Amino acid sequence: MKMPALLKRRSFAIGLVLVGAVAFCALFADLLAPFDPVKNNFRYRLGEPNDIYLLGTDRFGRDVLSRILHGARVSLRIGLMVVIASGLIGGVVGLVAGWWPKADAWLMRVMDGLMAFPGILLAIALAVTLGPSEMTAVVALTVAYSPRTARVMRGAVLVARAQDYVEAARAVGAKTGRILRKHIIPATMAPLMVQQTYIFAVAILAEAVLSFVGVGPPPPRPSLGAIIADGRDTMIEAPWIALSPGVAIAMIVLGLNLLGDGLRDALDPRMRNTVR
Amino acid sequence: MLRLIVVRLLAAVPVLFVVSLISFGLTLLVPGDIAAEMAGPSANRMEVEQIRTQLGLNQPPLERMLHWYGGLLQGDLGRSILLNQSVGSAILERLPVTLSLAGIALLMAALVGIPLGLLAAAKAHKWQDQAAMGGALMGLSLPDFWLGLLLIWVLAVKLQWLPSGGWIPFSDDPVGWLRSIAMPAGVLALNQMGPLARMTRSAALEVSNSDFIRTARAKGLAEPRVFARHVLSAAAVPILTVAGISFGIALGGALVIEQVFSLPGVGRLVIGAVLRRDWPVIQGGLLLTAFVFVAVNLIVDLLYLWVDPRLREAR
Repeated sequence: MKMPALLKRRSFAIGLVLVGAVAFCALFADLLAPFDPVKNNFRYRLGEPNDIYLLGTDRFGRDVLSRILHGARVSLRIGLMVVIASGLIGGVVGLVAGWWPKADAWLMRVMDGLMAFPGILLAIALAVTLGPSEMTAVVALTVAYSPRTARVMRGAVLVARAQDYVEAARAVGAKTGRILRKHIIPATMAPLMVQQTYIFAVAILAEAVLSFVGVGPPPPRPSLGAIIADGRDTMIEAPWIALSPGVAIAMIVLGLNLLGDGLRDALDPRMRNTVR
Repeated sequence: MLRLIVVRLLAAVPVLFVVSLISFGLTLLVPGDIAAEMAGPSANRMEVEQIRTQLGLNQPPLERMLHWYGGLLQGDLGRSILLNQSVGSAILERLPVTLSLAGIALLMAALVGIPLGLLAAAKAHKWQDQAAMGGALMGLSLPDFWLGLLLIWVLAVKLQWLPSGGWIPFSDDPVGWLRSIAMPAGVLALNQMGPLARMTRSAALEVSNSDFIRTARAKGLAEPRVFARHVLSAAAVPILTVAGISFGIALGGALVIEQVFSLPGVGRLVIGAVLRRDWPVIQGGLLLTAFVFVAVNLIVDLLYLWVDPRLREAR
């Protein structure tokens, strides 16, 4: 038991390091980026990586490393906003559906309907409907992915309301609001946190797809997905433009998934020997 | 048994209704003039009005909705303005490409992911487990479209082993078909393998603690046979559930990966329509992919009854 627990802590630690490193770079992109991410240098276009341009330059001679640092900031910001928005909306929907059986059937049919679409297609359609911008990307991804949160929340509420202490609280005459606040919601926080960590990862991947197909936030401040899309046409002459932002995305997403797994193991000891 | 099937079918009706409502409602959310946007900046008033009439945009929303549902019930999804083709036939023409891509990807993912999950469960907390689960996690963390570009660069540009894109129908040339689908399906499979392997592992671990597995071991059954015969069949339901969900994600992934490999599927059609604001195609694409997803999950539901006889008794 001891050894595996330790190893799991290691995977959590790796996740923390990965996410922490990218988040640090994104937060301090202004200080860390060696160049202005939108400044052209027409004398060094599609330049190979060298001492000055560590990850090379794109077709306008813009520094790819600087663009990735700023792009990571856009991707993380959108991801974080989706986590918060889908946590609130999915959380409330799941709470209502789990607590009031009358609302349950209706709400969950709507959630099932939303989940019947491939999430990414729904997000693309919504993003173009509302007109591409950073805000619409957040809205589109929130609509596409909060049903997942709602489902997890509903499940957690159903588990919590069946506990004896909830029954006891009701027996001593506690009001619904108090039971929800004091007993139900705290019990749902662990699964909700785990779920939102995974949503963070999914949102970052999905936002990259939005940008890649051309319905993400418009230039000049590109997200990581937009940089990949930008480098796609010059894959043969300058593969570094499209390939290096993908490594950044993979680092964040892998890190978040590791964090989610670690959180799940830490918060729910029963799961420790089963799911990872 | 028959009653159960009918119950499951009826349960899909409200979901499909919500799906259709969302697909239709999308156009009500568009800010600005749809007809003018579709006609383009160079169009004159006549052309804009023509598109407006063609889409029925001059009618009030409720009437438009009734008209849309009327068409839907007759299998008519409207007409694409840009393709000058009915949306239904434009999508159905391209559906085989997308479905075979998603289907083969899921098959590949299952063929690798399920044995990988069983291996990880059999060697739980040993290095084999760590390696398998690390690989599964890596697979589901890579952006699929980026992985596609990477593979094109390595396998098509550098090594010239596979074509960088394009589609060869199976009926024309089976080997060419396999070569054209190998990379895109492989990319999607790598993504879907992760959830399948993880769920197989956890379900197998849960089952392997139960009494009947201990009995199987106690009577001297070899470990591989315990896993193949007893653990896998008892863990089949959660694995199937994940496979059903994975199919939906693979379908979404297929739509995107078609862009990368220039495959003439529904994704090329719908994302092309998205970029050119061809609303009937966007609505139809949403509706039909959701229908496919619901249908696949109905099949998964019925497969439960097949793999787990206990469920046949229930209700």
